[in-house]
Amino acid sequence: MKHTLGFYLRLYGMILAQDLKSKMSYRADFIISTVGMIATNVAGFVSFWILFRNFPSIGGWGYYEILFLYGFSLVSLTPVQCLFDNNWSLRQYVYSGDFIKYCFRPVNLFFYYQSEVFDIKGLGQLAFGIAMIVYAWGKLGLAVTVLAVVKLLVFLLTASLVMIALQNAAAATCFWIQNSFYVLDFVTRFKDYARYPVTIFSPVFRFVFTFLMPIAFIAYYPSLVILRPDEVPLLSWLSPVIGVVFFFLSYRFWMYGAMKYSGTGS
Amino acid sequence: MNLKRYVTLTRAGIMESLQFRLSAFIMVLGNLLYLIVTFFLWKSIYAAAGTETVSGMTFNDTLIYLVLATALFGFMDMYIVWEIGRSIQSGQIVLELLRPMQYRKYLFWAYSGSFVTQFFFTFLPTFLIVAAVTHGAIRFGVNLLFFVISVVLAVSINYSIDFLVGTICLYTESIWGINIMKQVIVLLLSGATIPLAFFPEPLHSVALCLPFQSIYNAPLTLLLDGEPQMQNVLQILGTQAVWVVVMGLASMAFWKVSIRKITVNGG
Repeated sequence: MKHTLGFYLRLYGMILAQDLKSKMSYRADFIISTVGMIATNVAGFVSFWILFRNFPSIGGWGYYEILFLYGFSLVSLTPVQCLFDNNWSLRQYVYSGDFIKYCFRPVNLFFYYQSEVFDIKGLGQLAFGIAMIVYAWGKLGLAVTVLAVVKLLVFLLTASLVMIALQNAAAATCFWIQNSFYVLDFVTRFKDYARYPVTIFSPVFRFVFTFLMPIAFIAYYPSLVILRPDEVPLLSWLSPVIGVVFFFLSYRFWMYGAMKYSGTGS
Repeated sequence: MNLKRYVTLTRAGIMESLQFRLSAFIMVLGNLLYLIVTFFLWKSIYAAAGTETVSGMTFNDTLIYLVLATALFGFMDMYIVWEIGRSIQSGQIVLELLRPMQYRKYLFWAYSGSFVTQFFFTFLPTFLIVAAVTHGAIRFGVNLLFFVISVVLAVSINYSIDFLVGTICLYTESIWGINIMKQVIVLLLSGATIPLAFFPEPLHSVALCLPFQSIYNAPLTLLLDGEPQMQNVLQILGTQAVWVVVMGLASMAFWKVSIRKITVNGG
């Protein structure tokens, strides 16, 4: 049976509505979590601000350029926060055996699993990120054209695939090792490092953070297209391709783990 | 025998955490990655500043401070808020309360085993690596002793804060939100994200008056001070001791009041 994209979108809408309803029934939790998420972003910005009170620039990048990069990373990290949050529970489902229930649905296993949770808190991060980008964009005096906005959207979208891919792969390790929490935690730290230009690193680590742990593709390379339009390196133009390829590979890895999952026997 | 039961709990904790050798390895790897990123980040930050010291901190000081703050965080974070929160949500708390030991004490000693393993498997390697990278910027003298004393006090303060925050879960049914807020406040105001020395006034003075700076800023300041002045040391340790008592009493009192409110759904 072949399902169309429209079918999946409709299905996602239905599951989303149920998820939001169940979340709303724990109103206090919902409000506190949202405040917590906002506090995280405020604290992140405060430390950024303190840093620039003491130092003028980082690796030749000024305050507003770094702010743009910061905002870019926040926005590109929103999809992984909102849409793929169920990855954090994967190890518990696998460990307890409950994961088997996902295997018996007539829809794509990966889709069904990820669609079950929508983390609405991530939207606060999105608002912060957009505000930072807009503010920095104005201060840097970058031209506002339709082409620039389209470029921004395309590159944001594809950049977000990189972090999604990293998280999928990290979560899927639980099909082989029991406690994948530390792997996920390790990978999640990457997103904090994405806020800085990769040029601060020595050539060896520039290579590592570009090709082995692709942190630089979360914000640095894609944002160059907007920030420094006169000297865009090839890797920036390639970043959408890399995002898509990474996502596809992580999807196959995740599914491979899920397919060899044999339950706990209970 | 009072001591024996604590030791038994510690031993059980060590055995339990030794089950997860892979996770210890990944944590060291994570600390290493943090060290690399922090190294290059602050190197280029200091390069742009053009001066050797900024707000009384050299590049080496900053690197040691931040990397060890993260290592200490990994070592001290016991997921107490999660533990208490889950226990309350599942109703397990009722069984915990029936134990012949105070819950507050039991939880601490049950976790103490992971202190021991975390110390050897994650903190010590990170410490040695950062000492090697900074070429003797860490003085190996009496300051190490002060550092160790200070860390012990910090563990106690951190535990009291965690327990206090965990108790809030009795009222809110929210764990993630409460925990993330605690983490954000503690990490920022303790100097673990940006050394307190860089904070502008009046933020700096405010942070110094709060208990959080006693967790990371105090031990790291003592460690970095190669020629400690007795008066200074006593002042820092004294402040910590005051917070140990205050936070300890506060968390105990709050728990006592809250425990009467417990409602467990079903059983």
